Amino acid sequence: MTIACPNCKSTNIPGTVFCSECGAQLLSPDALVTQNITTAQVHEAFAQQRTQTITSPQVEVTTWASLHLLDTGQMLPLMDRNEFTLGRVSDGQPIMPDIDLSAYQAYAGGVSRLHTVLKRIGSRVVIMDLGSANGTYLNGRRLGPNVEQSINHGDIIALGKLKIQILLKS
Amino acid sequence: MPKQQEDYYDILGVLRDASQEEIKRAYIQSAQRLHPDKNTVAGETELFLEVQQAYEVLSNPQRRAKYDAMLPKEVDAPSIIQHEVLVSRPNLVRLPEPQVIYLHLELAPRAQSEQIPAPPLNVCLVLDHSTSMKGEKMDVVKSATIQVMKSLRAQDVFSVVAFSDNAEVIIPSTLHLDRSKMEARIHLMQPSGATEIYRGFEAGLAEIRQNIDPSRVNHLILLTDGHTYGDEQACLKLAEEAAVQGIGMSCMGIGNDWNDIFLDALASRTGGNCAYIAKPKDIQRLLIDKFKSFANVFADDVILDFKTQPDVRVNYAFRLTPDGGPVTIEDSMHLGPILQDTPLTILFEFFIESSAVQNESVTLLNGSLRPSITARPTPIPPIRLHITRDVRADAASESPPSKILSSLSRLTLYRMQERARSESEQGNYDSAAKHLKNLATHLLSQGERHLASTVLFEAENIKQIHTLSEEGSKQIKYGTRALLMAGSKEKVK
Repeated sequence: MTIACPNCKSTNIPGTVFCSECGAQLLSPDALVTQNITTAQVHEAFAQQRTQTITSPQVEVTTWASLHLLDTGQMLPLMDRNEFTLGRVSDGQPIMPDIDLSAYQAYAGGVSRLHTVLKRIGSRVVIMDLGSANGTYLNGRRLGPNVEQSINHGDIIALGKLKIQILLKS
Repeated sequence: MPKQQEDYYDILGVLRDASQEEIKRAYIQSAQRLHPDKNTVAGETELFLEVQQAYEVLSNPQRRAKYDAMLPKEVDAPSIIQHEVLVSRPNLVRLPEPQVIYLHLELAPRAQSEQIPAPPLNVCLVLDHSTSMKGEKMDVVKSATIQVMKSLRAQDVFSVVAFSDNAEVIIPSTLHLDRSKMEARIHLMQPSGATEIYRGFEAGLAEIRQNIDPSRVNHLILLTDGHTYGDEQACLKLAEEAAVQGIGMSCMGIGNDWNDIFLDALASRTGGNCAYIAKPKDIQRLLIDKFKSFANVFADDVILDFKTQPDVRVNYAFRLTPDGGPVTIEDSMHLGPILQDTPLTILFEFFIESSAVQNESVTLLNGSLRPSITARPTPIPPIRLHITRDVRADAASESPPSKILSSLSRLTLYRMQERARSESEQGNYDSAAKHLKNLATHLLSQGERHLASTVLFEAENIKQIHTLSEEGSKQIKYGTRALLMAGSKEKVK
């Protein structure tokens, strides 16, 4: 049950969070499943959205929320886990965000590497800024860092300039 | 303060299940502080009588039992300090091998509690004036000391000790300085002799003890640029004695020839920290910052008394804020100060043997936190900490809390540096160079190009000539430590 580092393959004592050899973050085998949001899923969600009325896209059944990227119109479904960090991946960074927004002009929009976190707590969904450089906005209001804030269906959040509409599964 | 609600346990600042030994210790501490021969503040004699009365009852098991019977049930009165404990994993896993778990402890003044005025100081500057200080260093130290004297208020006690192979009290511990006369004495300091820290340290502590008072920030600042030889153990013992009396200490090392590992150990015995001053011109700024942080002190030290199970141990403890630094692991750990605007945060790594996870649950830490709050004459009740984790067959599928992740990611860099350094000392050069290179990769990705190039330079040095330079190792150590603090501060803001 020792953890093999995904970066340098050295073994670490169970419970270690960062590799003691190379400093990379360890993903313990069943604890952190890398969430691959494939383009197929995106297209699927997008196609589904197009078949319905454009103004109020519905959320796929297995997901608890979807991120509707307002600039590009894409949908990113959130499922399986109750907590997602949003940010952008750059080389060699020790903590990876769960959802990498670099494909959606995150860099130009001023998204930090670890920008914000979305959590499902029971039936509630909360957002918390992770001390990002350009801030997280909820319906145009800047949130304080590390303060959880409930969000509702249809709310628009902005990570720096990147605007995302939150669609919750009722 | 609603006096009638305070019971004898509150007066002594102990928990209701305190042992006779703990009660006795608390009584002696309070009595020493409040004894009519010593106390200066009006009303403290009354407090002393209360303490005595409380001790008379609680020290007698029969009277204590009688008293306990008539006590109202213990209510969890909100402490004026709030604490938060985060653990990296919700449960432990039943494994045939050891495992680790991290604990993040944060202590802050409760937001509603009243604004506390800046506490009066009782500070001694212990200055190295050995031959190596000659020139710019000595001049800057003198002018910085004079600058600090100007910032003192009427209620502050200040003293200066200069040392080389002997110690000399330049400014005796006193409340009202004759400033011009004292400035002249500072100017007269001449560099000569070798560095013997013990002498200066001992004389500095003696000055502080003349006016020791728990309502002041009692602190010794040691400024040195050299190695001390042969008196390390004696110094550590002095630091431990100082810590018991509530005297804190910090060290400032100038240039590259001082023993950072020893001074870190020395300062951490009292919950203090150590700073690296690369260039003499930074001395003044750092010294003035230090005095500014004293004005902000809420509790000048927090002591963690704790026990773990025999097969569980604290492997590593590091203070993230307010001043980053290692924490010496003992049964009674001095964690460091809580500032009014900066919480005290500590990250612990627990090492758990496989024998511990055969039970249903594991006690990581069972103990109490004793903050010494500068503005209060009597101690506050200790904060009880009892942290256990259940043992399950499988690991939970949650990632660690984000606070642990972000501080660990930075602490990992600091520890890689420590590791590379000890490997290079053991002659394990290839491995040391490899770890330094890995460290440089992370630093580059965070945009720390200057520090990364220092690290790469040292990695190359280790490979080719098998040495890690004093300068490079200090720059890397305090550079990665500064990153740690910068990251934590961002979080606070």
